[in-house]
Amino acid sequence: MNRRANAASTAWPARLKRLLVVAVILVLGLCAMPNLYQNTTQLSIRTLTSEPAAPGPDQLVQLLQSRGFTVADIESGEPTLVTLTPQTASAAAQEVLAEALRGQASVKVVEQATAPYWLQRLGLSPIKLGLDLNGGVLFVLKVDTEKALEKRMENIALEAKALRIRDKLKGVRVERSSASGLELVALPQGEAALHQLQSALLDQFQHLSVSTHQQGSLLRASLSYDETGKAAFEKQTMTQALTTLRSRIEELGITEAVTQRQGANYIRIELPGVQDPAAAKRIIGATAQLSFHALQEFGGKRVKAEHGMVGLDPRAIFTGADIDSAQAGRDEYGKPLVQLFLSSQGGDKMLRFSRTHVGQPMATMYSEYIADSQGEIRESSQVISVATIQQVLGQRFSITNLGSWQKAQDLALLLRAGSLDAPLTIVTERTIGPSLGEQNISSGFAALALGLSLTLGFMLLWYRKLGVIACVALVANLLCLVGLMSLLPGVVLTLPGIAGLVLTIGMAVDTNVIIFERIKEERRQGSSMRAALQRGYQQAQSSIIDANLTTMITALVLMSIGYGPVKGFAITLALGIMTSMFCGVVVSGQLSQWFYRTKPVTGA
Amino acid sequence: MRDLWQTLRTSGLALSLIAMILSCVLISQRGLELGQDFTGGYVTEFQLAQDISGDELQHQLARHVSGEFRLSAQGALHWQVFQPPHNDSPTPLNWHTQLPDNLGVEILDSRFVGAQIGAELIEQGGLALLVSVLAVGLYLIVRFEWRLAVSASLALLHDVLITLVFFAATGMEFDLTVLAALLAIIGYSLNDSIVIGDKVRELVRARPDSTVSNTINVALGSTLGRTAITSLTTLTTIAALWWLGGASLQGFASALFIGVAVGTWSSVFVSATLPQWLGLSHRNYQRTLSEQEKQQLAEP
Repeated sequence: MNRRANAASTAWPARLKRLLVVAVILVLGLCAMPNLYQNTTQLSIRTLTSEPAAPGPDQLVQLLQSRGFTVADIESGEPTLVTLTPQTASAAAQEVLAEALRGQASVKVVEQATAPYWLQRLGLSPIKLGLDLNGGVLFVLKVDTEKALEKRMENIALEAKALRIRDKLKGVRVERSSASGLELVALPQGEAALHQLQSALLDQFQHLSVSTHQQGSLLRASLSYDETGKAAFEKQTMTQALTTLRSRIEELGITEAVTQRQGANYIRIELPGVQDPAAAKRIIGATAQLSFHALQEFGGKRVKAEHGMVGLDPRAIFTGADIDSAQAGRDEYGKPLVQLFLSSQGGDKMLRFSRTHVGQPMATMYSEYIADSQGEIRESSQVISVATIQQVLGQRFSITNLGSWQKAQDLALLLRAGSLDAPLTIVTERTIGPSLGEQNISSGFAALALGLSLTLGFMLLWYRKLGVIACVALVANLLCLVGLMSLLPGVVLTLPGIAGLVLTIGMAVDTNVIIFERIKEERRQGSSMRAALQRGYQQAQSSIIDANLTTMITALVLMSIGYGPVKGFAITLALGIMTSMFCGVVVSGQLSQWFYRTKPVTGA
Repeated sequence: MRDLWQTLRTSGLALSLIAMILSCVLISQRGLELGQDFTGGYVTEFQLAQDISGDELQHQLARHVSGEFRLSAQGALHWQVFQPPHNDSPTPLNWHTQLPDNLGVEILDSRFVGAQIGAELIEQGGLALLVSVLAVGLYLIVRFEWRLAVSASLALLHDVLITLVFFAATGMEFDLTVLAALLAIIGYSLNDSIVIGDKVRELVRARPDSTVSNTINVALGSTLGRTAITSLTTLTTIAALWWLGGASLQGFASALFIGVAVGTWSSVFVSATLPQWLGLSHRNYQRTLSEQEKQQLAEP
């Protein structure tokens, strides 16, 4: 009675464990299934307006064919889905259609899953392919936060000077002491004024810190950002750059793009499917800013204009940040212009200014950061128009004199997507052709197939019956690894990732080999198969854990420092270690028990 | 017989040490051919429709590519052009549009890397190598014993150096994937050292009467099968990668192949042999055993 209860209590956890192992493999296998159905790339066309009516399917096919695209399939509806042959032409076709259907429809490149409906319902999708397998464009941009900080200090200095004049503060001078700081200098009688100015500035700009010292009879207060202030400013600049870039890419109609921060001040942008980097580069790398200024004959900032130089009040009436939306259009003479809609705050600023300045000129300044031949970044400003304020202006007005339609469109897009305070430079640019991607996939998988079959064949030959266990465990390992990679978000399969997969196959058998060698040793010493199995698995465990943990350490180091190709490799390696430990120890342990379960009965 | 093993191991260790010193000299003499990932620059990979000799293509390109460039073959009809980062041409990547049509140029991959990001990568890569060796060494000290940890770390250094010297000697490009391969080699080589070290520890505890040299011989003998089989399967899969993986995995696969082969050697001749010279004795492992026993005894 007692013994039976004992037997039941040991049998239950074992049975539960077996169930659990089977369940894990089944679930991961299910996750791996969508990889059998590769996504198709399609164009999605969504009508924006009812009039003029968007072109029907026939017209779309005609339009695409006239530009040299081959339409494989068109599915009309809302949205209309177009499949091209080859599918890699979708990005180029998107540009053509977006141009042709401007204002009537929005055209996007979308990935469509082809897996059965029930699989999609479960939220399962295939592994995302990296650019080197898919083709596309990659940019790595450096965000120059230092330059942005300098610019911020310049603005603070301007603000300080304006405050000094507005509040009629006497005996105080504002000095730019260094690129990243400024100083308020007060004569003995101006100390009160200095404190007033200082507290006004501290109120307005957070994270600013002050240190005061006496120099002869002069009191000097230096304002600068301390470490935490700098960090906060940098973080804010990076976040702004990321959101701005994301919305710019969205404006370009690329939905599958990856935009992420890389390291302290780099941003990595992957545009799968895109083949012409020029258009994307013009939009992504642009740091264009618009600002509106009153003219100032004396002591103003001298800026280059169409004819000669113009003196401007350095303080802007309002900037691009106050712009809600922008649209390219044409005036009655057909000249390109950009219509602006200001935010209510910007509208207020404009209203206040124009009310007091009717009949006076206002200048529109266009500035951007450009790199000169030495690679040094500097700001280049140009006044694109000087117009007389005819009436009191509110939230809505337009900028004319833009030169070309292209320029108007780009400017409208940039203003819509938000401006960048920090200059961006492209430090890496890569364009991978779709044929290289296909080549990489086929060669990667050929290597995987060869490596796998050779390893399986060898294990079968060498270990015979135990080899069968190793082979099943190895296939289960591959299944689990692929399932895990599809399941985890943010895992991208790249060519080095496939290499990691192949390497994992070679190394995963190690776990089995360690155990099997132990079992052989035990058998040589005369243990029964069952005892040898048990001792083999038990004793090998510490070696296996040690060996895999150290590989895991290097994989984690790789993951934390590497980007792109290295990261892809590190992730597969790390996941591979986990699955191979699971499959090598737990799965093959269960299998061996099951394989040799009849032995003790016949032996007894 | 035992003595034969002993001399074999000692001479293997000596050979490894000599090879390490020679590698250091050779690497410092010749330097590594750093790839575009580290130096920055422009790389264009393209395919031609026409079979053309390297010299002829070089001649053709010289007319259209401004500044200096380096042409290398990547496979059948598959070529690569490298242009250094300080290329004064305003559009360094546009030369292919000017090539004659009959060549049938198809651009497969074109990439630009700024010189600055490359310098940062060298720093990061070196740091990664250092951090992983240190982290792993620390783990070993905690898990085993300092003699084994030192020996295994030296074996790692040995593997990395010999792989590097292969790149220095052949002039193959050292790029980011090769760096990843080096880190994978560290993981693999350690794997080997640990399995053998584990066995040594087990036997040293089990046979306190035997000499350490003998015990190590026995441990090596009993793990030899495993070492050979695992190396064989790993090398087989890497060879498959080398053969079929395409041009972009060549450097990675060759680094791994050499690293794994050398790592197998060093796990036997460096990390298993050296502890003996550093004075490993039964007492070093006996103490850990008694502590474990104490723990076991303390448990009810």
